[in-house]
Amino acid sequence: MIEQSEQSPPDRVGGALEGITVIEMCGARGHFMGKLMGDMGARVIKIEPLGGSIERQIGPFMHDEPHPDRSLFFWAHNTSKESLEINIETPEGQAVIKHLVENADVLLEDFEPGYLPSLGLGYEELSAGNEQLIMTSLTAFGQDGPYRDYKSTDLVALAMGGIMHSCGYDDLPGSPPIRPSGDHGNKIASHYGLMGTLAALFNRHFSGKGQYIDASAHEACNSTSEHALPTYLYEGENVFRQTGRHHSTTPTPKTLCKTSDGKYLIVFQLFNNLHSWLSLVGWMAEAGMAEDLQEEKYKDMARGGSRGMRAATDTTDADHAFEVVRRFIASQTSEDIYRGAQNLKFPWGQVRSPEENLEDPHFAEDRGMFADIPHPEIGEGVSIKYVGRPYRFTESPWEAFRAPLVGEHTSSILSNTIGYSESELKSLQNKGVISLQ
Amino acid sequence: MSEPQNLLRKGALEGVRVIDFSWIVAGPQCTRILGDFGADVIKVENDANMDYIRASRPVGGSSSPNRSPLFTTLNRNKRSLTLNVMHPRGMELLKDLIKKSDVIVENFSSRVLEKWGLGYEEQKKINPKIIYCSMSGFGHSGRDRDFVTWGPTAQAISGLTYMSGLPGEESAGWGFSYMDHTGGFYGTIAIMMALIHRNKTGKGQHLDLSQVESGIGLTGTAILDYTVNNRPFRRDEMPPGNRAPERGIAPHNTYPCKGEDRWCVVAVSTEDEWDRFVKATGNPSWASEERFATMQSRFENQDALDGLVAQWTINYSPHEVFEILQGAGVPAGAVQTPMERVEKDPQLKHRNFIAEIPHEELGTARVESIPMKMSETPWSLDRPPPLIGEHSAEIYTELLGVSPEELATLYEEGIA
Repeated sequence: MIEQSEQSPPDRVGGALEGITVIEMCGARGHFMGKLMGDMGARVIKIEPLGGSIERQIGPFMHDEPHPDRSLFFWAHNTSKESLEINIETPEGQAVIKHLVENADVLLEDFEPGYLPSLGLGYEELSAGNEQLIMTSLTAFGQDGPYRDYKSTDLVALAMGGIMHSCGYDDLPGSPPIRPSGDHGNKIASHYGLMGTLAALFNRHFSGKGQYIDASAHEACNSTSEHALPTYLYEGENVFRQTGRHHSTTPTPKTLCKTSDGKYLIVFQLFNNLHSWLSLVGWMAEAGMAEDLQEEKYKDMARGGSRGMRAATDTTDADHAFEVVRRFIASQTSEDIYRGAQNLKFPWGQVRSPEENLEDPHFAEDRGMFADIPHPEIGEGVSIKYVGRPYRFTESPWEAFRAPLVGEHTSSILSNTIGYSESELKSLQNKGVISLQ
Repeated sequence: MSEPQNLLRKGALEGVRVIDFSWIVAGPQCTRILGDFGADVIKVENDANMDYIRASRPVGGSSSPNRSPLFTTLNRNKRSLTLNVMHPRGMELLKDLIKKSDVIVENFSSRVLEKWGLGYEEQKKINPKIIYCSMSGFGHSGRDRDFVTWGPTAQAISGLTYMSGLPGEESAGWGFSYMDHTGGFYGTIAIMMALIHRNKTGKGQHLDLSQVESGIGLTGTAILDYTVNNRPFRRDEMPPGNRAPERGIAPHNTYPCKGEDRWCVVAVSTEDEWDRFVKATGNPSWASEERFATMQSRFENQDALDGLVAQWTINYSPHEVFEILQGAGVPAGAVQTPMERVEKDPQLKHRNFIAEIPHEELGTARVESIPMKMSETPWSLDRPPPLIGEHSAEIYTELLGVSPEELATLYEEGIA
């Protein structure tokens, strides 16, 4: 059962961002910024409206029971934060924010342009009390321009950013461009917002001054589409989408190959180098499936290495070789062909479902990339396995604690960080500024 | 160690020097952002083994290594140094450069620097404060550390490829190397965190990045849904196409528009947005049917709903749908083509998204700018993507103190 007993953030020592205080006023577009900073040791105070952020209503939920403290979506994107539940549309709420920001290093926000200034919480007002403040506004389209007030979501960002134009099927007639699931439009935006924030933090060490960062999800997505823009800018051509592989201006061979257990492998760079090619053909011959691939002309293609592969891409010989290899792959399990081919230095990958990596000992055991994070509110001693660190630092550890319950730290932040008295808290409660459980 | 000079700083990372051994996309994406923030990024190449992407689709079909479109955007704001690390004098000069640098970045497979005798322990002896960022597919430890990856491999293994597509169909995956971009971002993020840590502690460190691990970190709730609810993402109704089952909202999808293979997206997330949507589409009679009365019932009947929405969108171009719905306060968008992003998008134009700089061989290099405005340390396009070896002479003579006579020898003997 979920109990509303407060969990103090654990003392974490030596994180790269230790000592940095971040005020986060973000929803789905920006909450990943705060998580990545919190997981590396920053103190992140998440400001939530009364009742909690709306991301708490996004599923899936623990045991499929919708509840603000059971949203796995919220958990995944809000580790290592404290929660302050407060109505910032009241003068008292605004005073609290101002007070917190005066003593903070970073303010992250993803409201619509103009919203915080309308509450007296714009960069001008806030930096007047703290010239070291770094404020990052991560909006859909930026603080100015004709689209500034337009609404966006992850789907809209990926469509307008050109990413969806590159993703989908070329062999499924009438099928639409596809949005890769996983909130990537928001994540691309967050990654850029975070990078700007970190650069400003580094800079502040020398300049003594903070700054304002106006970051746009639209531009972030538009700068994350590999060949699409350079190809247009220099060749005047639009790339088109192809099933499971790179966009292109001319059709390229399909890389998805089905395996005997009904899964798929991404297969490319067949003629990577001669040694790999000969080993592969030898392996196929043992299985009686090499057909004519031992012929000299294929060795010549492999001798050319990756350049030879490219020169050979359009030839019927290359297509034929690929078809023979495809038949061989179809006779093997996904695991066998993946490991066998990797041992021969082919960069082929299993098309895994994310959870299948929990069973891969390289990640799960040797690299320890999944983290057991305590959830004492569910029960004593209960931990849940999360995706862990996305990078390994040798000197400054990654260390996460679970996402906060709604308003879990309201009272401790107001009394300990700001210094409000018991009666002041009561008065805020009575005025509907905060909600103490 | 280069000590940043307070008053001379322009970019946020001005004064930081980066030795960049990286190539193809992931590493150059990482160092591109460091360079964009003002770091002095020195791209170390040699003629025999240059950045492979220099050969990618050269403009005009030329064999020149200086005309690749993708190279230009990934390598602006960097300097190019040709140096042969296999030659003892080359290695000596490289070590001199390490003494004067803050960061080393590479995205080779996981044993290359060790083979050069330049693993982190060795780097640390040369410069104890060095930050070494290795960006390999599987990381520098573990049983599969020698596995080989390109962007598509990392996307496949991490689960990102599988998460993109229509239910019951093959994976649509990503139409480009998303994990080269994003693997690069994690390199940049890690390096800047380590620089901030070094400001405080004086300590450098090794940042061991694995492109697959960074990818697993982007799989959203898939892992938690499995560890908490025992529900695998690999199941019949997944992936969700362009719908939003996790939010339980509809209409939320791609819809066909006027023209060949033209599409828009609509993402109605609240009751208020639904009311606006109905009004903007001219109050069609079906919108008041009982089965579309609430968000939940619209979500449950979204097959029918999507068909009806498509009957409206098909009369308009993607940008007409975008303007009509956005004008009414409804989140919607056009699936924009590269041409539209470059030539038409008024927002990108207003924000000066495409930047230009003179380029010796291309006339003008045109690149995507950094997607943010910084009030104190604004972005600028200071350097065009470097010709191979363009900055060798200045780096050897000005930074490493090589005499003009020796420089000639370095070129002659293929060391530079």
